[in-house]
Amino acid sequence: APSAAGLGRRLRAWLPRIMPVRWSRYNPSYLEPEVKKEAYQKPLEELTEEEREQMELKAVRPIKAAPPTLSSSVFSDPMISKFTNMMMKSGNKVLARSLMSQTLEAIKRKQLEKYHKAPENEKETIECNPYVIFHQALKNCQPIIGLSNITRGGKTYQVPVPLTDNRKRFLAMKWLITECRDNKHRRTMMPEKLSQELLLAFKNEGPVIKRKHVLHKMAEANRAYAHFRWW
Amino acid sequence: MAAPAYPAWVTRWVSGQWRNKKRPPTLRPPRALALADKVANRREQSTEATCITEMSVMMACWKQNDFNDTPCAEEIRMFYDCVAKAEKERKNQNEDTLSSRGNLPSSKVNKLLKRFPQITRYV
Repeated sequence: APSAAGLGRRLRAWLPRIMPVRWSRYNPSYLEPEVKKEAYQKPLEELTEEEREQMELKAVRPIKAAPPTLSSSVFSDPMISKFTNMMMKSGNKVLARSLMSQTLEAIKRKQLEKYHKAPENEKETIECNPYVIFHQALKNCQPIIGLSNITRGGKTYQVPVPLTDNRKRFLAMKWLITECRDNKHRRTMMPEKLSQELLLAFKNEGPVIKRKHVLHKMAEANRAYAHFRWW
Repeated sequence: MAAPAYPAWVTRWVSGQWRNKKRPPTLRPPRALALADKVANRREQSTEATCITEMSVMMACWKQNDFNDTPCAEEIRMFYDCVAKAEKERKNQNEDTLSSRGNLPSSKVNKLLKRFPQITRYV
């Protein structure tokens, strides 16, 4: 009887292009697509030298297909897309996107309620744009310094280490989502929990900001080990 | 090669026969008396951590202001600048030139020596 490994190998040789891999299968000559409309509306004279060269290069090189998440609409926001993807479970993008839109709606409703109840002089201070609140809340939640495990002489130390921008954004989003999923009442809906957390983070209060402060305090306590870093 | 065959005068000279009374050879070179094409693997001394001063300044500011970010914005900005600069330098440094301490890691030395080996025999 043919072995499973032999069959697999032969199948892989027969289907050279359909094997799933984690990296990109594009030829290196393929360029990224430009989706922003503003880039194409600029008149030719305004372009700088390197932009002109880039345009000439794009005329001769093939372009990668734009992924479905990349959109040229004015309403698309890469941070919101990233957050939606992180909220998504088992590939249910429809549900994640609807939850995200319901969250933004809930934020808007809460802020409008506050706006209409507020006295005249305070009305300008209340921020009603849910996108602005989302971005500011994420920025407030981002840790500035992280901890990494470094082993020296058999013992593992928590060493304070600067984080990259991607890592900071990821941690902020992850903390928000886990906080909403774990530490709330079982029957509250996700948009409600998320909108509450985002509004608290916008004002620099709430459990996510506290978690960030705890991380900073631990980094400050371990600052003696900072020399263990080699980068 | 365990005991390469040297011409007789090498062994006699090495044994010091022409200087002293005849004695059995004191030195029997077990390896070839030629430079090898590789160096020993040396543990590369790690570089120091960057941006420690900015980090300590920022942490002192945090301690004074109860870990709020708004009063410490200037220190945080300086820390970010330092980190960005260190990252850029790390990317730009060419590995084939000498490191900051003037040493080449043993792997790179071995690569170079392999390209230009010691000539042991002429053809």
